[in-house]
Amino acid sequence: MSLFGSLKQFGLTERFVVVVSLVIVASMLIISGYLINRQNDIYRTELEKRGQALVDNLAYNAEYGVILESTIELDNLIKGVARANDIIYVRILAADGRVLAQTGSNIYNNAKVTDETTEPEVKADKFGKTFYRASDGTEFMELTYPVETVRQSISRENLGVVSDYSSREDTYIREVIGEVRVGLTFSNLNREVTKSQTASILLTFVVVLSAIIIMTAFVRIIIRPIESLVRVTDQISKGDLTKSVDIDRNDEIGLLANSFNRMIESLKKSQDEIEEYNRNLEEKIIERTEELEEAQTQLIQSEKMVAIGQLAAGVAHELNNPLGGILGYAQFTLEKIQNKNAENMTDKDIKSYKRYLCDIETQSRRCKSIVQNLLKFSRTSQTVEFDNVNVNAVIEDTLTFVEHQLMMNQITLVKNLDSGIPIIKGNPSQLQQVFTNIIINAMHASESGNEIVLTSRFAPPLGEFPGAVEIAFADAGRGISEEHLKKIFEPFFTTKDVGKGTGLGLSVSYGIIKEHGGEIKVKSTLGEGTTFTVIIPVEKTPCPSDK
Amino acid sequence: MQDTATKNILVVDDEQVMREFLADVLEDFNVVKAADGDEAIEKLKTDRYDLIITDMKMPRVSGEEVVKFAKETYPDSKIIVISGYSSLFSVSNTLGYGVCAFLSKPFTIKQIRSEVEKSLGLGVNGPDGLELGNGI
Repeated sequence: MSLFGSLKQFGLTERFVVVVSLVIVASMLIISGYLINRQNDIYRTELEKRGQALVDNLAYNAEYGVILESTIELDNLIKGVARANDIIYVRILAADGRVLAQTGSNIYNNAKVTDETTEPEVKADKFGKTFYRASDGTEFMELTYPVETVRQSISRENLGVVSDYSSREDTYIREVIGEVRVGLTFSNLNREVTKSQTASILLTFVVVLSAIIIMTAFVRIIIRPIESLVRVTDQISKGDLTKSVDIDRNDEIGLLANSFNRMIESLKKSQDEIEEYNRNLEEKIIERTEELEEAQTQLIQSEKMVAIGQLAAGVAHELNNPLGGILGYAQFTLEKIQNKNAENMTDKDIKSYKRYLCDIETQSRRCKSIVQNLLKFSRTSQTVEFDNVNVNAVIEDTLTFVEHQLMMNQITLVKNLDSGIPIIKGNPSQLQQVFTNIIINAMHASESGNEIVLTSRFAPPLGEFPGAVEIAFADAGRGISEEHLKKIFEPFFTTKDVGKGTGLGLSVSYGIIKEHGGEIKVKSTLGEGTTFTVIIPVEKTPCPSDK
Repeated sequence: MQDTATKNILVVDDEQVMREFLADVLEDFNVVKAADGDEAIEKLKTDRYDLIITDMKMPRVSGEEVVKFAKETYPDSKIIVISGYSSLFSVSNTLGYGVCAFLSKPFTIKQIRSEVEKSLGLGVNGPDGLELGNGI
């Protein structure tokens, strides 16, 4: 886990090489371990066989030397044998344990038996095998074989030449007369094993090295294009679609690169299309925004016209009064003058005529001012100009048209105008539209005999609040339900009968007041009435929705 | 002439110019002016009038109230309604009280004189009747 964990920080190549190398090393260890073990076994068996042949041979040849106790002959015999380099000593002993001949080291002194299953005692006609460890730590194997002879038990009468032992078996006794002990070392074996081990390690190293080289090269061949893919992908992810993968191969990686390049191309194409769409969209948005602004202007204008339509009766009444005076006095004056000769006119008459004409003039001016007021209100202004506005004056202008409408519905308008309110920046015509709309709504919600209380006041500055003019319109009408209250500023929302309201009045009013940096608040209780409060800051501040 | 001078006419209108004008035109009659419904009802309480000429739309007490009061007090009251609203609809409910005529502003001298004479039962060929309309 920790190995693979730490491998994670390496690239694909390193990981691959490490893992494969580990696999190779492990395989090599197992294989060479097995082979060395086997080599060891074979060598030991070989050594033992050779040793057995040697002791057998020596025992056979030592027969007469032992019988005769001829040290010289036995020495010659063992010297020839002891030349072999894995033989460390050869000893020939008499049956009573005396050493008749020996050669090589005396390593057997104080040596300890390492394999308890072996028996150092020599038995007739039997190979002995014992493993020892010498006091210096050398391990060796001692092979033994008895030196035997055949003793003829010849009766006195049978004394003669013996030509065939086998035919006279009962008269011959096999007798152990000594023993041959040969020490065999495993050092050659150990050397061989060490050599094999070294060879194995070297071989493993060479194999791993070449594997690393081959793998690295191979992995590079696979990885490099993948790395190049990774680089290009990275650039693409950063938005650079001008790059492509430069791999010209016919294998799977080549196919991958080709399909990747195709993907980049189609991505580029899509991106271009999207950019094109975006450009078009921006143009369209600008176009639509212009259309929308125009539509809004038209909307405000048409709402205004609706208001004027609603006010038409009031306007007519307002005009008819002075017109009545004008028409009447004009006719009356004409009649008087026609009935009198110039010389008959008394000073009193002339004084009367003057008064009549004065009235005509005054009433004409009144008509003019009404018409002007109406024109001012209905004027389409493409650019909304903000002037210094006295809100009270705008309210009075508005009431000129609305008062008669209210009277007709027998609704009394109570004015509580604070003459001390400051001048604000605004558009009088638009404000008049808002006030008209709210008053007409209040009127429609009221019943005969109800009052509408119109209050203007100044809310002084406080902290960040710059101070504002507040105009409240409180009616005692039927009120607005909570459900409707949420929607009253939505365009086309109306509770009035079809054809009576457009549902745009309050939404247009809201827009107008927003443009003045102000807001419209509504408080309503069903059955008790509604209060609309228009708040316009003294200094126009951009409203949050203008962002 | 004697007839007319003895006739009392109450002119009710919140428009000063209308009151003045009616007083001027009906100078042969005894014209009393009231600026609104309240004042008119006060005057009706103290005096009897042969004819009431009243506007409909007035602040506080409307012409309708005046008509109602007059008819209740003197059921044979002659009443002419004048209004800035040209629609008959706006005064239709007062007609039920026995209003003699309805004139919408602006009206001619001939119209008002004719209606006044008709209401007071003075012949159309009355003293000034024939001559008066000529100027129009």
